[in-house]
Amino acid sequence: MDLLPFLAVATAGAVLAVALQGRRRWGTLVGFAGVIAALVALVLAAPGEPLPIAGGVVAMTAYARVLLGVGLAGGLLVLAVSRLATWEAPAPATLLVAVSGLAVALGVGGAVPGLLAAGATSALAAAVALAHPATPLRVRALAREVRGATVAMTVGVLAVSLAPEAIGGLAVQPQVAGLAAVAAGLALGHRFGAIPLHARVARLSDAAPASVLPALLALIPAGWAVVLLGWAPDTLGPAAPVIGWDGTLLVIVALATLVLGTFAALIQDDLLRIVAYTVVLDAGVVLLGFSSLDPSGREAVRAWLVPFVASRAALIGWVIAFRAAFGTARLSESRGWLRRAPALGVGLVAIAAATVGWPGVLVWDARLAALQAATGGPALFVGTLAALGTAVAIARILGTGFGRPDPRVAAAPGELARVPAGLRAAARALRRPEGRRVATLRAASHEARPLLEMNRTPLRALLIVLLAGLALMTAGGAFGIRAAASGPDLPVANPAAPAP
Amino acid sequence: MTVLLVAAGALVALGAGVATGARGARAASVGALACLVFAPLVAEPLPETPVALFRLVAGVLAAFLLLVAARRAGDESASPLGLPATLAAAAAAFVAGLGATAVGLPAFGPSAAVGAGLACLAVALVPVIRTRDAFRLGSALLVLANAGILLRSGLSGTPPALEILVGGIALVALAAAIVTLAGMTGTATGDLAIPGDATERRRPPA
Repeated sequence: MDLLPFLAVATAGAVLAVALQGRRRWGTLVGFAGVIAALVALVLAAPGEPLPIAGGVVAMTAYARVLLGVGLAGGLLVLAVSRLATWEAPAPATLLVAVSGLAVALGVGGAVPGLLAAGATSALAAAVALAHPATPLRVRALAREVRGATVAMTVGVLAVSLAPEAIGGLAVQPQVAGLAAVAAGLALGHRFGAIPLHARVARLSDAAPASVLPALLALIPAGWAVVLLGWAPDTLGPAAPVIGWDGTLLVIVALATLVLGTFAALIQDDLLRIVAYTVVLDAGVVLLGFSSLDPSGREAVRAWLVPFVASRAALIGWVIAFRAAFGTARLSESRGWLRRAPALGVGLVAIAAATVGWPGVLVWDARLAALQAATGGPALFVGTLAALGTAVAIARILGTGFGRPDPRVAAAPGELARVPAGLRAAARALRRPEGRRVATLRAASHEARPLLEMNRTPLRALLIVLLAGLALMTAGGAFGIRAAASGPDLPVANPAAPAP
Repeated sequence: MTVLLVAAGALVALGAGVATGARGARAASVGALACLVFAPLVAEPLPETPVALFRLVAGVLAAFLLLVAARRAGDESASPLGLPATLAAAAAAFVAGLGATAVGLPAFGPSAAVGAGLACLAVALVPVIRTRDAFRLGSALLVLANAGILLRSGLSGTPPALEILVGGIALVALAAAIVTLAGMTGTATGDLAIPGDATERRRPPA
C-alpha cells in the first residue's frame, strides 16, 4: 500500500507549486522538483494489499501506477520543452493537482468516490491552469470547465446511484440500467469531448497555456473513463442484452464523434486545435468501449488509455516546440517546415506511429478490441476507418512540411547544435600545455548560459524525440500495460468489515 | 423515518432555496451553509460522529469560501424568479421526493434524502444553465453537487465513511475553484458577470 506516501508528496508539491508560481526562478525550481519527486515516489510505490480505511479500501493499483507514471513522465518532458520555449507558470502545479486528485479517484474503491474525486480534480486543475492572467477568454473557459465538471460529476453519481455496485447487476431493471448507462455515457462523453459535447475541448485549447493541456485534455479525462469503466460492465453488463435503444444511442454518438472529429481535425488551421480535435475523435473509442458494457471492452479501453495519454502529451509537446521554432502554430504559415526542422519531422512520424500503431501492437489491438466489443459489420468498418483520423491529421501536418519554405519558416534557426565562440576558445586554450587551466575553466563556465540560449531549438528537438520514444514504448505495451489493464479493481467496501 | 430526519431534509431544501433564490449574496451564502451543513444528517443510519463532524466542517469551509466569492456580488444578478418562487419550487420537490418511494421508486435510503436531493436539484438546475454571474453560478454548482451526494444517499443507502470523507473534500475543492472563478471574473470585468455568456449573446445589453 503506497498510495498515501505518493499522495503526500504530490499534494505537497502541488501546494508549493501553486504558492510559488508567481516567482519565475523559484516557481520553476519547485515545480520541476515537485514533479520529479512525485515521479520518484510513484516509481518506488509497489502495488500491494488494499488498506482498509473508514469502511472502504485505498491502494495504489498496478494500473493506476502505470497511468499516473506515464502521465507524469510525459508531463515532465512537456514542461521541459515549455521551459525551453516560453515558461508557462501554472503548468507544474496543474500537473501535480491532476495526479494528486486522480490518485484519490483511482485509489479509492467504488465508482462514487472516484467520480467525486475526478469532478473536483477537473475543476481545481482548470482553476489552477487558467487563474493567471485573468482574461475574458480564460474566465469563459474556466466557467465552462467548472460547470461541466460539476454537472458531469452529479450526473455520474446519479447514474451509479441508480444501479449501485452493492446490489449486483441482475437486480437492476432494464429501463433503469439503460437510463444509468446513457447518463454515465454522456457524462464520460462530456469529459472527453465527444460530439456534440466537445465545446470545452476547443475552448480549453484556445484559452489555456499549451503545457497544461496534457493534464486537462488527456490525463484527467482518462481518469474519468477508468472510474466509470470500473463500474459499468460489472453492474450493467448482465442487463446489457435487454437494455435496448439506450446502448445503441451511445454507439451512434461514439461513431458520429469518430467521423465528425476526424473532419473537424482536418479543417483546422491551428496546430493546437488539430491536437484538440484528435482528442475529440478518440472520445469515440472510449465511448464505444464503455457502451459495450463488457469486461473485454473495459480491458481494451484501459490498455488503450495509457498510450493515448503518452501520445497526446507528445503531440502537445511537439506543437510547443514547433511554435517556438517558427513563431507560429498555423499550418497555412508553415509551408516547408520539414527542411528547417527534420528532427521534429522524425518525432512527428514516431508520434503518429505511436498514436495509430499497427497490427500486433498494443495500441492497435486494444483500439480494435474496444470497437469490436460494441460494433460489428458496417459500423465496425466505419469506426475502424474513422479511428485512424489522428494519423490522417498528422499526415496533413507532415505534408505541409514539404515544398519551398515560407519566409517565416526559412528565417527560423536550424536544429544543428552550436557552440559559443568563447567556449571554443576555452577548449583551444585547454589543449595548450602552457595554458592556465583554472582561469580558462572559470571563463568557460560563463559560456554555459550562452550555450543553452544558442541551443534551445536542438534541445527541444531532443526532448520531442524522447517524448515520441515514450509514446512508442507505451504503444508497444511497455511497463506491463496489458497485465495492469486486466488486473482487478479495488473492492467497493472493506471485505473484512462486518456487514451492516 | 423519523421527524428529525424530515426536519433535517426540510432545512437542506430551505437552504438550497435561499442559496439560489435570495437577492443578497450574504443571504445566499447562509443558505448554502445550511444546505451543506445539514446534508450529512439526512441519512439513516447516521454516519459515525467523527465522519459527520468532518463533513460538517467541510460544509462550513465550502460555504465560507462561497462567502469570500460573494464580496463583489450585487443584487441585480439574483434569480429572476425571486425567493418565494424558488422556495416554493424547493418545497414542492422535497414533498415529491418524500412521496416518491411510496409510489414505487426503488430506494435503499431514507426518502427524506431523496426529497432533499430533489429539492437541491430543482432549484440549482436553472441557474447552472442560465446564470452569467460567477457567484450565482458557484452557489448553484455547490447546491447541485450536494444534490448528487444526497440522492446517492437516498437511492443507495448511507454510503461508507470513506465516501463521505471524499465527498467533503470534493465540495471544498469545488468551492476553491469557484472562488478562483469569481476572483478572475472580478479582475477581468470589474464585476462578477462572466463575459460572452450565451445569454448575453442572445440578449445583448442595451
